[in-house]
Amino acid sequence: MIKGQSRRQFLKSSLISGAAVATGSINLLTPNKAFSAEYPDVIVSYGSSATDITRAAVEGLGGMQRFVKPGSKVVIKPNMSFSSPPEAASNTNPEVVREVARLCHQAGASRISILDNTLRTPEDCLRMSRIPEYCKDIPNTNVNYVKAQRLFKEVKVPNGKQIKSMEVVNEVLEADVLIAVPVGKSHGSSGVSLSMKGMMGLIYDRISFHSRFDLHESIVDMVTILKPALVVIDGTRILSTGGPGGPGEVIPLNLVVASADMVAADAEMVALGTWYGKKFEPNQVKHIKLASDRGLGQSDLSKLNIKNIRS
Amino acid sequence: MIRLQRISQSISFILFLNLLYCASHPFREGIPTDLFLRLDPSVGIISSIAGRSWLLSALAPALGLLLLTAVFGRFFCGHVCPMGAMIDMFQLLFSRKSRKQQESNTVEQTSIFRSYKFVFVAFLLLAALCGVSLAFLGSPISLATRFIALVFHPLSLLLADTGIELAAPLQTLIPQLNYIQVPVRVFAANEFLAALFLSIVILSLFQPRFWCRNICPTGAILALFSVRPIVRRHVEKSCVHCNKCVRECPTGCITADHLMNVSSECIVCLKCSKTCPVSAISFGYRKTGLGPEQDGSFQKLLPTRRQTLAGIFSGIVMGGLVRTGWNQPRLMGQEKSLTDPELIRAPGSIPERAFLARCVRCGQCMKACPTNTLQPIWFKAGLEGMFSPILVPRLAACELNCATCGQVCPTGAIRPLELLEKKQVKIGTAWIDRQACLVWNQDKKCLVCDEVCPYNAVVFKPTENRKNAVPHVVPNKCTGCGWCENKCPVEGASAIRINIIGEIRLASGSYIEKAREYGLEFKTDKTDVDVLAPDTFELKGFGTNTEETPKTPQPVKRLELPQGFTED
Repeated sequence: MIKGQSRRQFLKSSLISGAAVATGSINLLTPNKAFSAEYPDVIVSYGSSATDITRAAVEGLGGMQRFVKPGSKVVIKPNMSFSSPPEAASNTNPEVVREVARLCHQAGASRISILDNTLRTPEDCLRMSRIPEYCKDIPNTNVNYVKAQRLFKEVKVPNGKQIKSMEVVNEVLEADVLIAVPVGKSHGSSGVSLSMKGMMGLIYDRISFHSRFDLHESIVDMVTILKPALVVIDGTRILSTGGPGGPGEVIPLNLVVASADMVAADAEMVALGTWYGKKFEPNQVKHIKLASDRGLGQSDLSKLNIKNIRS
Repeated sequence: MIRLQRISQSISFILFLNLLYCASHPFREGIPTDLFLRLDPSVGIISSIAGRSWLLSALAPALGLLLLTAVFGRFFCGHVCPMGAMIDMFQLLFSRKSRKQQESNTVEQTSIFRSYKFVFVAFLLLAALCGVSLAFLGSPISLATRFIALVFHPLSLLLADTGIELAAPLQTLIPQLNYIQVPVRVFAANEFLAALFLSIVILSLFQPRFWCRNICPTGAILALFSVRPIVRRHVEKSCVHCNKCVRECPTGCITADHLMNVSSECIVCLKCSKTCPVSAISFGYRKTGLGPEQDGSFQKLLPTRRQTLAGIFSGIVMGGLVRTGWNQPRLMGQEKSLTDPELIRAPGSIPERAFLARCVRCGQCMKACPTNTLQPIWFKAGLEGMFSPILVPRLAACELNCATCGQVCPTGAIRPLELLEKKQVKIGTAWIDRQACLVWNQDKKCLVCDEVCPYNAVVFKPTENRKNAVPHVVPNKCTGCGWCENKCPVEGASAIRINIIGEIRLASGSYIEKAREYGLEFKTDKTDVDVLAPDTFELKGFGTNTEETPKTPQPVKRLELPQGFTED
């Protein structure tokens, strides 16, 4: 399964990236507003190959060059916080992460940094998530855990209702683009853990979110600052129960959800998945509703232009 | 010219450091990280006697060493022992011998304390006969390993971390340099361990290799086997009696007439033969000629009958004291001992009494523990348990995918378990301190313990008159790994703590079967097998092992809502 690219794949991907570059250069002439209206708000990309559906989803949003300009520094935030293998679904599918990193590279990113503040023993988390192993051949790409306090910097949260300041990973503050690549999973405290909850992997002190503050309000406070430009949610399989760490019920959905709107992406993922044996409306997850209410994105699916594609 | 001894000693010491460095997670099979410990006869003999079972893995190499010692003398002390190497290094740096000290370095003048090491051996052996292993007090390899593992290693990590911080200006050039994050490791009792080590090396300022001459029990055992080694020192008649060899001898084993030495005290460093201006000294096979058998010095170095009796007597009393101490398990008619509830032993530790008899406190398990949860204790288990390892979950938890502590244990006090089996070992059970718990006591919304539990052993149940569901531990699912205690956001003592309740410790047999027998169900991932063979797993198979299909929407009642979801 894990082999180098075949000639056909290579031709295909180079054609696609060629086309992407071409469209990208046209876009330079187009005003940005009109440009974003050309694309759907949310792409749900179905298919059996995680790599293909990830690529298709990003292409559907206008290609990676819409988000990553040549020479820019990119931080990708996957889930790799648990020392469990990809099948357990508490970490992001390494194929999805690799494809996002590859697209960033093809869009001309000068540095691609894949970061997470791991919950369990860092080396074990990275090794068992297999993300470093998958991404090692993508140029300019580094996979790191972030534990040492010196790697964080305190920033103010001007629009925070509860959180007034927090310590965020330095490199995220310096980066040009932040991309969230979470896995779709349930969460014992926040209902689901998707792109917004996942941002807690880029801050130093997570514990006080739980103990001092209301978790949902804190998450929304946090994403007023840590707002990803692009969200690709791995729904190749979701951890439907027992999240975030598992063990729990793993349901294959064979899809990824991509959007430039983190709230919309999370909302769509909630609607697509089955959580604890039930179906839910996006607004039943408090932090999604709060984020939408505070104007950070759109959680009302009826107001979103959602496009389903299959590859 | 560098002497052969310096070369072999350096090689041995570097090998020792490297082997100890390899005692880490993930553990690479086949590296004998405990090689030096198993060579130490004190370790093998005392552990076997105290544990009442042959510890062949340590006795066999030690026996080999004893046979070699009968041929070559105490070469181990001079060429192999890391403790000897560290003492030599210290002396090289700090020791300035006075002229008087040098001149009075004959065996006759330096032997006041030499017999003490035999007394110490008698003490340790008799205590071991009483079932109490005090090998950790005397075994030089245990002392050296413990010092390097628990004092030197954390210090060097700290130094490395500081170095990286100082290199901050470079980090803008090489961003990847930023992410070298050296783990800072902490150990209980480290200052004391450092002081203990320091006092051993400082003694060598008063007399070179004081420890090796007068205290070391391994040195004493080796001395008994090298009374008349086959290869030994020989002095030609051409000796000019310049006294140089006496001045140079690190163990002061040469007689005043320069012609003889006490082989049981000689560490075969060959310094005398190198320093001799007329090359009258050689080491080799000697059938006849001058030798210790003719001068009877060895007998003079043995303890007196009174001293021997004192050693034997104090050993017995010590053993008796320990066995009548507060911490002693299994008083007559009692099923349970007065064990400290926080005496959580590493997964795979054999039953406590045997564990204490086997454990030599080398500290390799604590060095290897990736999370730093394994800590040496003081008196939690009595004097007998000093420096033995326990888990301190508040500091760190037991890593799920690691069984390294058992793999590096030199004596099998912690059994080497397969990872799958280790995951089924119950070392304790979590309990909730409802007075401290944010949910139970303050009705706050907090689910950290559930979030971090790798075994799903914490469940939240809604109760009446409460806004938030409250946590309960499912004892059958809890292994006592300690993630909940570690991550509990309550300041100070955790509101969910691990105690040894329900711990399972088997001297032999399968932990998996025992867990099944007791009706325990430890489930981590459905795909445990793949953890062991990650390379065989195919990405296509993601999640397809569940045939669950998404269910149709159902009306959701208030109490049935899972945590984190609201009613619209």
